[in-house]
Amino acid sequence: MGPVELLHMSVFSQSFSPCGRFLAAGNNYGEIGLFSLSAALSPDATAANQKPVLTFTAHDGPIFSLISTDVHLLSAGNGEISGWSWNDLIKKTVRPLWTKRPSCRSSLEVPEINSMTLNPRDNNLVVGGGDNNVHILDMEHGVFKAVLQGHTDYIHCVTIRDREGDILSAGEDGAVRVWDSRTSESVHCIEVYKHESCARPQFGKWLSCVTTDSDWMLCGGGPSLSLWHLRSLSPASVFPLIGCQRQATFHQDMIIAAGDGAFVSHCLLGGEVKAQIPCTPQSINTLQLNTNSSEHRVLTVGGSSRHMDVFTNLSYRAFSLHF
Amino acid sequence: MRLTLGATRHKTQRRRRSRSRFVIVSQPGFRSKSARCGVCHRRGFLLFHANTVLQHKEMSSDALKKRKSKVVRSEGGTPEMKRIRADGDQDVRVYKEEVELESRDPEQDFLMYKESCESLASLMSDIQNLKANGEKEGSAEVEQKRMQSCIHFMNLKKLNRLAHMRLKKGRDQTHEAKQRVDVLHLQLQNLLYEVMHLQKEISKCLEFKSKHEEIDLVSEEEFFQEAPPEISRPQLTKHDSHQLTLARLDWELEQRKRLAEQYKESQASKETILKSIEVKKEHLSSLQPGLNAIMQASLPVQEYLSMPFEQTQKQTEIARHLPPALYVLFVQANAYGQACDKNLSVSISGDVDEARALSKPPEDSQDDESDSDAEEEQEKTKRRRPTIGGQLDDRRREMLKRHPLSLCVDLKCKDSSILHLSFFYLMNLNIMTVKAKVSTPTDLNTAISAGELLKSETLLSCLNTSDQGRETPNPANRYQFDKVGIATFEDFVDELGHPYMWVQKLGGLHFPSDTSEGVHVGSSLSASHMQSTMKLLRARVQSRLALHRQFASLEHSIIPISSECQDLFPTKIISRLARWIPISHQDYAVLPYTRPVIDAGLANDSDLYFMAVIERGTARLDAAVVLSPRYPEISPLFSLSLSWKGERSGCTDDNLRAMESEVNVFRKELNGLRPGHQLLTNQIARLCVCLDVFLETEGQDDSVEGPREFPREKMCLRTVRGPNRLKPFKYNHPQGFFSHR
Repeated sequence: MGPVELLHMSVFSQSFSPCGRFLAAGNNYGEIGLFSLSAALSPDATAANQKPVLTFTAHDGPIFSLISTDVHLLSAGNGEISGWSWNDLIKKTVRPLWTKRPSCRSSLEVPEINSMTLNPRDNNLVVGGGDNNVHILDMEHGVFKAVLQGHTDYIHCVTIRDREGDILSAGEDGAVRVWDSRTSESVHCIEVYKHESCARPQFGKWLSCVTTDSDWMLCGGGPSLSLWHLRSLSPASVFPLIGCQRQATFHQDMIIAAGDGAFVSHCLLGGEVKAQIPCTPQSINTLQLNTNSSEHRVLTVGGSSRHMDVFTNLSYRAFSLHF
Repeated sequence: MRLTLGATRHKTQRRRRSRSRFVIVSQPGFRSKSARCGVCHRRGFLLFHANTVLQHKEMSSDALKKRKSKVVRSEGGTPEMKRIRADGDQDVRVYKEEVELESRDPEQDFLMYKESCESLASLMSDIQNLKANGEKEGSAEVEQKRMQSCIHFMNLKKLNRLAHMRLKKGRDQTHEAKQRVDVLHLQLQNLLYEVMHLQKEISKCLEFKSKHEEIDLVSEEEFFQEAPPEISRPQLTKHDSHQLTLARLDWELEQRKRLAEQYKESQASKETILKSIEVKKEHLSSLQPGLNAIMQASLPVQEYLSMPFEQTQKQTEIARHLPPALYVLFVQANAYGQACDKNLSVSISGDVDEARALSKPPEDSQDDESDSDAEEEQEKTKRRRPTIGGQLDDRRREMLKRHPLSLCVDLKCKDSSILHLSFFYLMNLNIMTVKAKVSTPTDLNTAISAGELLKSETLLSCLNTSDQGRETPNPANRYQFDKVGIATFEDFVDELGHPYMWVQKLGGLHFPSDTSEGVHVGSSLSASHMQSTMKLLRARVQSRLALHRQFASLEHSIIPISSECQDLFPTKIISRLARWIPISHQDYAVLPYTRPVIDAGLANDSDLYFMAVIERGTARLDAAVVLSPRYPEISPLFSLSLSWKGERSGCTDDNLRAMESEVNVFRKELNGLRPGHQLLTNQIARLCVCLDVFLETEGQDDSVEGPREFPREKMCLRTVRGPNRLKPFKYNHPQGFFSHR
């Protein structure tokens, strides 16, 4: 990888290993880099520890999504999903366990997979991508068992409501659809851009992130990041963040969001922006909290740079991992 | 000595004789004796003169006594006297008191004396008694007594005389013994002297050195082995070392004679050989004019056959005066030119005489230098040195001195442009430098922005990675510079040429980067780099010339796209290149959107910087370009900034970043024909296409009334894709649509 390629590298996805000691990161060249958090966080860490312990090419196109089950790392490339064993990867053997392709109408272009999420209750993998449909992969049998159709443009993000098991998807068409996982029917369709408090026509109507916490849903993108009450389907608070947000997550009584702009925003549920913590990438594609290990409880942030910032404390950037 | 000894003997004899006459001889006898003594004196026995005098004295005293005794005797009238008178002159008859003396015993004499004295005393006392008793003078008794005492007196006298004679006899005996001892002593001294003399003679003989001891003789074994028996005579010499030495000397003489003979012969043969050499030399020199004439005559033939023997010969002659590094390059370049590259020509320029003077006495010159240095030092201390600065300048100039000869390598390219390379050798720094010049058949000075391209300073920079040719590659120079206060070689590069690494390698100079092993001059090093370097040089000139041509049209806002590269772009490109200007490194560095490139260390001092402006309608795309000197091997790097509905740049906008990577990262698609001289123009053309796509696919704000500024003309499958909503910048050729990467 030459210096020019490194200069134009973007990190799109991250996932922590089940043990919490490793971080996998996918970039725009289809590579997955495996970083050792335990080494990088140790007191006698050197610059070499900030480099990946293992880099391998997993897919042709950029890797937009990475997710970990309790034993596997799943990576999503251009129209395909591959499964890797964490044990193998830690031993530095690179061999995909399996590769699945969601069925799609034949086209000149292979639709990308933008988002994946696990439904632990049914042991399903929910996949959303460029073909405007949500695919449900049965992890037990390795077959796609359902297709949720309804979006009119490609899907940016999918998520699961913990208690109800409903699937939520947000897409380029500006709608958040809530699906009943049993019937595969779209239960609700929330068109965020139509709400005046959230709409930002200069950015467009697309929604790039959606996440839930019991009855509350957080979504943002072209429209402002906003907190919705799912039972009443109305926006509770709108966050005055300037750029388009690409990732948002609930953390304790706080919301962490990131997107355009080289900072991570901390917001209160009430709608105030509490802090904006500067970071290295000029725009952020992914942020991930390591909850798998209490020892290495860190927030990592990746974006339009080869650097990935590590926050040991949420209020400041500790150091950067880089490809 | 003998004479003296003889004289003493004679003397004693005579004295004995005279003594025996003493008694009878009276006064005249004494006188005659003294006269004889005068004869003795006259004869000159000086050694014994004192003795004789002594003897004379004794004799005179003896004579006195004798006279007295004679008087007494004559008075007494003893019977012996009569006998002596009767005998006359005869000795036998002479009374000899000495004889009497011998027959008497001194003890009895002494008793007799005592008796006489006692009886005398008793007579005297008798007389006195008689006198006292009133006896008259002349009474018989007294007279008798007086008579008796007279006899006693006579007796005493006799005894006295005898005592004297005894004394004298004893003295004489002592004297005689002493004489004898003296003689013996003298003899002893004589003998000792003789012994000493002989000993001296012996030691002198012993100390005698023979000449033959200095002659280095062959060893004995060798001598017996080599010498003929008539010289060695083993039966004689085996046991007699003297004979052996003589024989060895003989053999030495024999051998030396033989060698002298040989020497003479050799001398003679040497003479004859010298003479023959002389003759041959004359013959050869007489050939030279003829050969010259033939060479002269053959020139037209050579020209006609295009075989420049003469010229190469001359060059080789000059090449002998090249310094080793340039010579290596000369040989290797020639060889390479003959073997692989007909378009490469090598020539030598410079002052040959100076070089000849320089190369003639290499060792002496060094010595001279140090000598003259010392002299200079002295002179300097004597006369006030002009100024320290001026002196330092001189030393600098001396240090940076070039060899008078330089090597010109002309590299002809396919399009008949020529790269002239002049290689110089800096004698004191032991490095090579190069100056480059490009000459083209047509005038190229139309492009303003191309000014930097063919400048000799930058033309060859970074031929290999980061070889900018500004610092000297010889680590030893650092210390030399310190001595004369040169901070960096860069200040002299314009004047002296660039000391690129590859130049050193071509010259066979190898400077290890960190270890301190010495500098080698090796042909193999030069040979191993010749081909690759020549290829690099040619490629460099070609790419520069290609760039030069491209710049000319870019300045006229025309993007030249060669026919082979037509497929890379859609037929209709609406965005236009508005401007193409060179900018400085500083200008580049202050642009906000070039920060990532600078931080990544991809913008160096040696690079060239340009600014391209692409416009379409109200949109204006600024592209800051880093052009590496190693173009097209290292692709130009674009940094974008778009001003349309606000400012955005590659740093802040993912789509502009995607456009940057479209030209920077996916350059392989844009290389065109090998070796990729079309790269830059293709990149610019692609930027135009990307700008078209960007503008046409930008989401329409529904709230704004009126027609879109940029109607969608490009065929796209999807306008956005992926989490970062990238636009489809990839052009698919035969179908003519745009898709995502």
